[in-house]
Amino acid sequence: MINRYEETLYDAYTQVFSVEDVYYESKSEHQHIIIFHNSKFGRVMALDGIIQTTERDEFIYHEMLTHVPIIGHGAVDRVLIIGGGDGGMLREACRHSSISRITMVEIDRAVVDLCREYLPTHSRGAFDDPRLNLVISDGAEFVATTDERFDVIIVDSTDPIGPGEALFTEKFYSDCKRCLYEGGVIVTQNGVAFFQIEEAKNTADAFRNLFRDWHFYTAAVPTYVGGVMAFGWGTDNTELRHQPLATLEQRYQSAGLTTRYYNPSIHQGSFALPQYLANAIGKPG
Amino acid sequence: MTDQAELKLLTPQCDWQSLVHRHGSPLLVLDCDVLRRQYRQLSSALPGVDLYFAIKALPHDIVLATLHREGCNFDLATQGEIRLLEKHSIPPKRTIHTHPIKRDVDIRAALRYGCTTFVVDNETELRKFIRYRERVGLLLRLSFPNPDALINLSKKFGLPAPEAQDFLAKAAELGIHIKGISFHVGSQCRTPDAHIRAIDECAELIQASRKTRDIPMRMLDIGGGFPTSYDGAGLPIDEFCTPIRKRLEQLPENIHVIAEPGRFIAAPSMVCITSVIGKAKRGDRIWYYLDDGVYGSFSGQIFDHVHYPLFALRDGPRQPCVLAGPTCDSIDVIAEDILMPELELGDLIIAPMMGAYTSATATEFNSLPRTHIIAINTDAHAEDSVTKIA
Repeated sequence: MINRYEETLYDAYTQVFSVEDVYYESKSEHQHIIIFHNSKFGRVMALDGIIQTTERDEFIYHEMLTHVPIIGHGAVDRVLIIGGGDGGMLREACRHSSISRITMVEIDRAVVDLCREYLPTHSRGAFDDPRLNLVISDGAEFVATTDERFDVIIVDSTDPIGPGEALFTEKFYSDCKRCLYEGGVIVTQNGVAFFQIEEAKNTADAFRNLFRDWHFYTAAVPTYVGGVMAFGWGTDNTELRHQPLATLEQRYQSAGLTTRYYNPSIHQGSFALPQYLANAIGKPG
Repeated sequence: MTDQAELKLLTPQCDWQSLVHRHGSPLLVLDCDVLRRQYRQLSSALPGVDLYFAIKALPHDIVLATLHREGCNFDLATQGEIRLLEKHSIPPKRTIHTHPIKRDVDIRAALRYGCTTFVVDNETELRKFIRYRERVGLLLRLSFPNPDALINLSKKFGLPAPEAQDFLAKAAELGIHIKGISFHVGSQCRTPDAHIRAIDECAELIQASRKTRDIPMRMLDIGGGFPTSYDGAGLPIDEFCTPIRKRLEQLPENIHVIAEPGRFIAAPSMVCITSVIGKAKRGDRIWYYLDDGVYGSFSGQIFDHVHYPLFALRDGPRQPCVLAGPTCDSIDVIAEDILMPELELGDLIIAPMMGAYTSATATEFNSLPRTHIIAINTDAHAEDSVTKIA
């Protein structure tokens, strides 16, 4: 058994985890999967050599990709999650009782099965929620063909090198837009802006052509090393991004959420971008 | 010296007959003890140099597993080789991608596997890395023509050394990090002179780069070319490496030196056993037809310009004869005018030194399957079936 796990994302800089136990390691049809235990982060899942999620810091990522669009929108009935096989996004979405249907499209059934078994605190039973429609399929293909419409689409993708590649194309974003109700919002995972600025740039180039209002917001997730992670935001409702703090607070209260990272002030503040990111996406900042 | 005595010098004694009886003919016998011995010999001849086995020489499961357990790293060149590495859960940080020409899909497959070191030798290739520049560390391959090598590897690949400065400047302009220099002075070098000349030139470039603030290099890949003897002649490896070692000792300590041996580790590790399946007197020669030939395990005679030592397991007066392979093609001749005792159908011919670029380049011409490889002296951890002999 290995006693340390080294991320393979960058040649000249890396994070290394001590490994107390390996729960699972294999190559699925789509990717290499490992789930191990680290004393600092709890259970850790890596796909194709890149850390995807850890028990200790997953809440930051999952709260920010669900509550920001859902509370920002204010009247969400239907949610589409692309990817998200670990169930963390689903868990957070399920906490909104106003939502009546959540469709989750994950390409790799192995990820869902393994995470239910080895990362149960990510989903906390959310896979049994009657509002869930779990589809094991290619997310890009799903949005190109489905008749369903959604208020919020959350793109919880992996690295753009691998099965998540199609989830960073303009074609995919434009198919997503087709699946949004009028005034709906799409949010995307765009990597750590400091090291992976091209991911934000590419998505910005696509959103610029597709949405009347688009922007990015950020959160720092410790195991996505290199500073803040960028999340894309695209919608034709120009007001969604500029909700008064009081409105966000009132929605947060009435949703009855207890959160560990998200709160209405963070929500507002997270749209303020570091200047290097603003410059890269061609915004004044 | 008799054939039998000479054969014993080249390869540990085996009961070839019973191996063939058990596993059939033709047969390639991979001796893991020899793999380990070769790896250890080169490691101790080049202390402080990390060895990256060139998988292409002998892309076999047991070879990878055995060398991995020895602590060896790996030099890969294709997606197929990546699949082999993945199969053995070899950590990608212990690999480098050394093919100077890659498609985008090849780069992405290597990055997905987790290999982040690549080799470039021209600007077109360099530009392929613009989109991956945050992820990768590149080695610039330089060419140092070497008339002394059996196989010249500086013709197809490598940037002429005088152009290195301009190339490094271009890379810096594109924001791509060149972390070091690699070269391959050619296969089967008779002397270490070419290595030494190349090390000197590279060291100068690396030192110069460390004086400028923005592009210091820290890696030197001295390639392969470490000779292994097919006929008992040639320098012992420690002697060959002594002047190289001395040169490397003069480099600053924090320069990471690596090498990509293939043949040196693989060649002595495998023996081919082939049987006489036909015999005809044509003119004044006896032609013996064997069940393996140049379209099979002896393909190295065509592609690798090597002739392997051949031994019969029979004594008697020797006469010139022809050994031919099993295909219908007239080029399929292993040896002409070789002296052999008179052979009978079913006699075995033993060919040592058949580990490198043999089965790796074999074809299935005439729909003849590639020769089966069995491993001996695999260690206790090996999952594969073990045939303990020796």
